[in-house]
Amino acid sequence: MSNFFSKIGELFSTPEYIDSLLHGFLLTIQISYFAILIGILLGTIIALVDTAKKTKWTIVPKFICTVYTTIIRGTPMALQLFIMFFVIFAVKGFPSIIIAIVAFGLNSAAYTAEVIRGGILSVDPGQTEAGMALGLSQRTIFMKIVAPQAIKNIIPALGNEIITVIKETAIVSMVGMYDLNMAAKDIGSGQNMASYIVPMVVAALFYLVTIYLITFIVKRIEKGLRRSDLRGEE
Amino acid sequence: MSENGSEIKTGISQAGANTDLVVRNLHKAFGKNKVINGIDFELKEGERVVVLGPSGSGKSTFLRCINWMEEPTSGEIIFDGEVVTAKNIRRIRRNLGMVFQHFNLITNMTVMENLTLAPVKLKLMSREAARKRAMELLRHIGLPKKADAYPASLSGGQKQRIAIIRAMMLSPEVLLFDEPTSALDPESIGDVLSLISELAERGMTIMIVTHEMSFAKEIATRVVFIDKGRIIEEGEPEEFFSHPKTERVKEFLGKVL
Repeated sequence: MSNFFSKIGELFSTPEYIDSLLHGFLLTIQISYFAILIGILLGTIIALVDTAKKTKWTIVPKFICTVYTTIIRGTPMALQLFIMFFVIFAVKGFPSIIIAIVAFGLNSAAYTAEVIRGGILSVDPGQTEAGMALGLSQRTIFMKIVAPQAIKNIIPALGNEIITVIKETAIVSMVGMYDLNMAAKDIGSGQNMASYIVPMVVAALFYLVTIYLITFIVKRIEKGLRRSDLRGEE
Repeated sequence: MSENGSEIKTGISQAGANTDLVVRNLHKAFGKNKVINGIDFELKEGERVVVLGPSGSGKSTFLRCINWMEEPTSGEIIFDGEVVTAKNIRRIRRNLGMVFQHFNLITNMTVMENLTLAPVKLKLMSREAARKRAMELLRHIGLPKKADAYPASLSGGQKQRIAIIRAMMLSPEVLLFDEPTSALDPESIGDVLSLISELAERGMTIMIVTHEMSFAKEIATRVVFIDKGRIIEEGEPEEFFSHPKTERVKEFLGKVL
C-alpha cells in the first residue's frame, strides 16, 4: 500500500507525466467534441429525412439513410476506425486527429439520428393536427410545436450518446494516437513508472469527472425544459 | 358563464361572407379499409348539422376530410365555390375552425400563446391586437387568470373551452367539432356544451360529431346519420328523432335514447 502512495507521489511530482496526461486528455476532449458536433448535425439531417413524408423526392434519400444507419450500427466501432485509418484515409501524413474525428462523428451520427427520430415520433400527432387546423405551415408547426416538444425527449438520450462517444474514443490508442487512455498506458510502462495501477486510476478519474460534469449539465437542461409539464402553478 | 358583455364574434358578421360547403362523392380509404364510401353533402350558412352514427361508421373521418386533416381518396370538397386542394387548404382552414376530442392545446405554450400563435403567424392580427382579443375571450369564458398557465395545469373542461376560443380567434365561417365532450367528465361537459350553444345562438355555422343526444336535439337544425361510410338518413331533428325512416336509425335510437 505504501508503494501505491509513493507511486501517486511520483506521478504528481513528475511534470512530464502530468504533461502527458493533460495532453492525452486534451486529445480525448478534442476528438469527442468535434465528433459529437458532427454527430448532432448529421444525425439531425438523417432524422429529418427519416421522419419526412414519403414522396417521390424523399424515397431515395430515405433509403440512403436507412442503409447508412444499418451499416454503422451493425459493425464494430473499432473496425470502422481501422477502415478509416488503413483504407479510406490511408494517405501518409494525413492528420490522424481528423481521421479520428470523422470516424467517431460518422458513427455517432447514426445513433444520434435514432435518438432524434424517436424524439420527433414521440410527439403526440394531435399537436401537429392542432397546428394544421389553425392553418399554420409545416415549417411553423415543426419549429414552434414539434421541435420544442421533441427536444424534451431527445436531451436525456442525447446525453447518453455524448457519454458513450467520450468513453469510446479510448480505442484511438489502438491506432497509436496519444489520448488519455494511451497516456496512462505510456506512463505506466517499464520505461517510465513501471506500474500501471496509479496512472490508470488517475486516467479513470479524468473520464469519470468529465462524464459526471456532462451528466450534471444534461440534468439541468432537462429540468429547465420540463417547466411546461408542471401541473398546478397556483 | 359570460361574466361581462364581450361577445364572441362569428364569421357570419363579416360582410359578404356567404358560407357554402359542398361535398361531392367523397371516398376515403386507409389502405384496404374503406371508411367513407361516397358521401354527398351540403352545408349552408347558419346551419348547425349534428352528425350521428355508430362507432366506426366513419363520422369522424367524414368531418376530418372536410378540412383535409385526412386527404380524401376521391371526391371533392368545395368551400365557398372553391375546390379544396393541397395548395389552397392552408388558406381555407382559417375559415374552417376545428375542435378536437382531445383538445390538442399546444403543450409547450401557455394559454395566451396558444390563442395568439395562429392569428399572429398568419399576419391576421398584430401581437397586441391578438393579445387583447385573447384576453376578451378568456374573460368571456371566465378564465382570464389562466392566460399564463400551461395546458398541463388545466382541467379537461377548461382545456376544451380554450380550444374553442382558440378556433374562434381566426373568426372562422364554420366550426367543426369532433366529439368535443367525449373525453370530458360529466361536470365539464355542461360548460363546454353551453359555450357551443352560445356560438350557435350567435349564428355560427356548425358541424358537430357527438354522442350527446339531448344536446343534438336542442342545437341541430339538421341531423345526419352515417353508417358504413354513407349517409343513410338525414332530416330535421324533430322528425329524425320522433319518426326515423330507416330501420338502422330506429335500431340506433332505440339503443341510445
